[in-house]
Amino acid sequence: MLRVEGVEVRFGGVQALRGVDLEVQPGSLVGLIGPNGAGKTTLFNVVTGLERPTAGRVLLEGRDITSLPPHRRARLGLGRTFQRIEVFSSLTVRENVLAAAEARRSWGRDEPDPERTARDVLRRVGLERVADARVEGLSTGLLRLVEVARGLATRPSLLLLDEPGSGLDGSESEQLGDLLLELVADGTAVLLVEHDVELVMRVCQQVNVLDFGQVIAVGTPAEVQGDAAVQAAYLGAA
Amino acid sequence: MTTFLALTLVGLVVGCIYALTACGLVVTYTTSGVFNFAHGAIGMVAAFTYWQLTVDWGVPSWLGLPLVLLVLAPLLGALVERVLVRPLYGAPVGVTLVVTLGLLLSLIGLANIAWPPTVTRVLPKFFDGRTVTLSSLVISGNQLLVILAAAAVAVSLRLLFTRTVTGIAMRAVVDDQDLVALAGTYPQQVAQLSWALGASLAALAGILLAPLVNLDILGLTLLVINGYAAAMVGRLRSLPLTVAGALALGLGDAYLVGYAPGDVVDVIKPALPMFLLFGAVLFLRQERLRSGSLTGVRMPRTPSLRQSVASGAVLVVVVWWLSGQLGEGRLATVGQGLVLGFIMLSLVLLSGYGGQVSLCQMTFVGLGAFAMGRVGGELGLLAAVGLAGAAGALVALTVVRLRGLHLALATLAFAQAMDVVFFKRSLGYGGSLAVERPGVPFVDVADDRAYTVLLAVALAVGSVAVLSLRRRAFGRRLVALNDSPAACATMGVSVTATKLVVFTTSAALAGFGGALFGGLRGSVSSNDFVLLNSLVLLLLATLGGLYTVTGVGLAAMAYALFPVLQDALPGLGQVAYLLTGMGALALGRNRYGLGGQLADLADRLRAARPARALRTEVAGAAG
Repeated sequence: MLRVEGVEVRFGGVQALRGVDLEVQPGSLVGLIGPNGAGKTTLFNVVTGLERPTAGRVLLEGRDITSLPPHRRARLGLGRTFQRIEVFSSLTVRENVLAAAEARRSWGRDEPDPERTARDVLRRVGLERVADARVEGLSTGLLRLVEVARGLATRPSLLLLDEPGSGLDGSESEQLGDLLLELVADGTAVLLVEHDVELVMRVCQQVNVLDFGQVIAVGTPAEVQGDAAVQAAYLGAA
Repeated sequence: MTTFLALTLVGLVVGCIYALTACGLVVTYTTSGVFNFAHGAIGMVAAFTYWQLTVDWGVPSWLGLPLVLLVLAPLLGALVERVLVRPLYGAPVGVTLVVTLGLLLSLIGLANIAWPPTVTRVLPKFFDGRTVTLSSLVISGNQLLVILAAAAVAVSLRLLFTRTVTGIAMRAVVDDQDLVALAGTYPQQVAQLSWALGASLAALAGILLAPLVNLDILGLTLLVINGYAAAMVGRLRSLPLTVAGALALGLGDAYLVGYAPGDVVDVIKPALPMFLLFGAVLFLRQERLRSGSLTGVRMPRTPSLRQSVASGAVLVVVVWWLSGQLGEGRLATVGQGLVLGFIMLSLVLLSGYGGQVSLCQMTFVGLGAFAMGRVGGELGLLAAVGLAGAAGALVALTVVRLRGLHLALATLAFAQAMDVVFFKRSLGYGGSLAVERPGVPFVDVADDRAYTVLLAVALAVGSVAVLSLRRRAFGRRLVALNDSPAACATMGVSVTATKLVVFTTSAALAGFGGALFGGLRGSVSSNDFVLLNSLVLLLLATLGGLYTVTGVGLAAMAYALFPVLQDALPGLGQVAYLLTGMGALALGRNRYGLGGQLADLADRLRAARPARALRTEVAGAAG
């Protein structure tokens, strides 16, 4: 479904990503973890088109999308959330999600009733209670859910989630895990950046570990947890 | 050869003055992040102050010059930073723009009071009559002074920024305010210093420019605007490139006058700086979509269809009643307010909802009036909407990559260029184009009262339409685009296409307003659509509240009723500029304007309703 091949990104003298390869199979839930500054968000930006890589390619369902603008990629089935929250602060929660469903209608022609889609998504994510509240007063955790809901409303085939669990409490994060598993069961692939290791270990089928812009380990959650290089990256080399 | 040298000298002198003003602009912008649209006005006030001191009061220039350049101008700059600019750090460009525009108008207003334009004032050239001869070239003392002053300033700035602690701190503030604060320097003090320095440079440019032209308030203010173009060549950052841009502008101007045929000069010369500005802005790199750039705008609640239709009906009834009570002159004023309100609707759509700054809205209005005047009748209305809409689309296509300040400067350049290249030629300086009123079945539009009521109907219908657009998918998309372009793009929304649509719609709406405006006036002239009027329009709309239709309606009414107040309080007219300016200063504190305040009040009243009502509401929401 998604293939990232040898992606490099350089900001001035800083090499943010070096030769990153990554693959997400259709309908799978893949984790992307790593210490702060490892390049996770940069990789998301490269995949969704907000950042141009200095080298490498991004393929979506076999098609090279490296030079496509962000909105064209979204129309091919990419959705995402942002680590630094990007909700539409002048709109209510419902309108945030509705705007996304309406966007889908404008380019997808297969969205008969955006209002209904918005209602369904809000129920699914558990935001019904605050649907008519303006987003500005909500907690960070809820704002992250608004972003997830907005991402879902465009019905992507691959959803990239950037730390959706930060700011959620224990039970909320458990619900988020359930939601992710449900999505995957419905056939949506998910690439998940998350610091909540418990959540990642619970839901992901495969985990990629990024450190200093390089993938240092790929495997099942158990394999990655036992990997010496990963432990060194997280805890400092012994 | 001698001609060439002489032209080069003239161009160099003008270029040096542009360089001085542009460098001041760049210094303040890079260290404070606020672009000072009042830069030219500060130069103008300084030139007049210098005239006051040396010519009127007879203070010797060896005392007057340092007094203005080293004491008064820096004090003014520092004061402006402290009072106006400091509350603006981190505010969206639209707000900083309007506040410095307010300052611009206030200074123009003050100057009009202090130095009434009825008297001709002349600032003598420095070292008048004395010359230096360099082979075949005769250089006047004044020219030499300008070149030497510019060179001295260039060298001093270079030394300041590379050799002194303060200068290095100034450069550091540009990179990271917080880091500089951690290192023990106060970023705000550094920014204040840069505003003082900028004001000083503006003053120097103003004083050197004044003897070459006339001491004319608007002329001096706007001539220094040419420095914008040079500053943009340096991308508002690089001083050497800025100086190069300024010199190129000065020389280009001089060679054009010297070598091009007269009719070409007439067309191109006045627009040359604006072409350069437009070109420089267009060569900027595409601004990337970034996350983490939220504007933090909090838009007031949108009224429901029922509420907006009811308010529109009330407006029409009130105007109908009022128009029966007023005399002919008053009626025209009310009509003007209504038309202005209609035109401002186009700004609510474009700048309020869509967040796209436009300093050329009156240009679209002018195109609408022009089309109506040339074509006339129902077809004229269509032509007005079509021509203005097409111009809007054209502008959008060229500036679609730009945001914020760059967009503002590009639209400013477009407005100014259209003024000198198109309106002044097609409508004439003082000349005018007759514009007929659009015909409506069963209404005698020639009757002023009927036409005024018709304008009220147009405003009401326009308001209801804009509001219902806001409640629909397109409105949500616009607001979303304003809140987060990056998130919009990742939903599959084409930012480019959306901007194109909103620019075109807004321009077409303004064009329709232009046709109505022309009909109201009976005739229009190029003076109606000058850049300054676009600035005043944006300022008024922002004061009323750019995010609300009610807000711009209030602003338009305030404008219309102003002459009525003026009758009661003679002398008010002189302070009109000043009042508008003062209002803009208040925006630094509250950026939502009057309309935003009212919406807040309504929200609070709603929240304070009796508990019984609240309980019912909760029960309703739960049910």
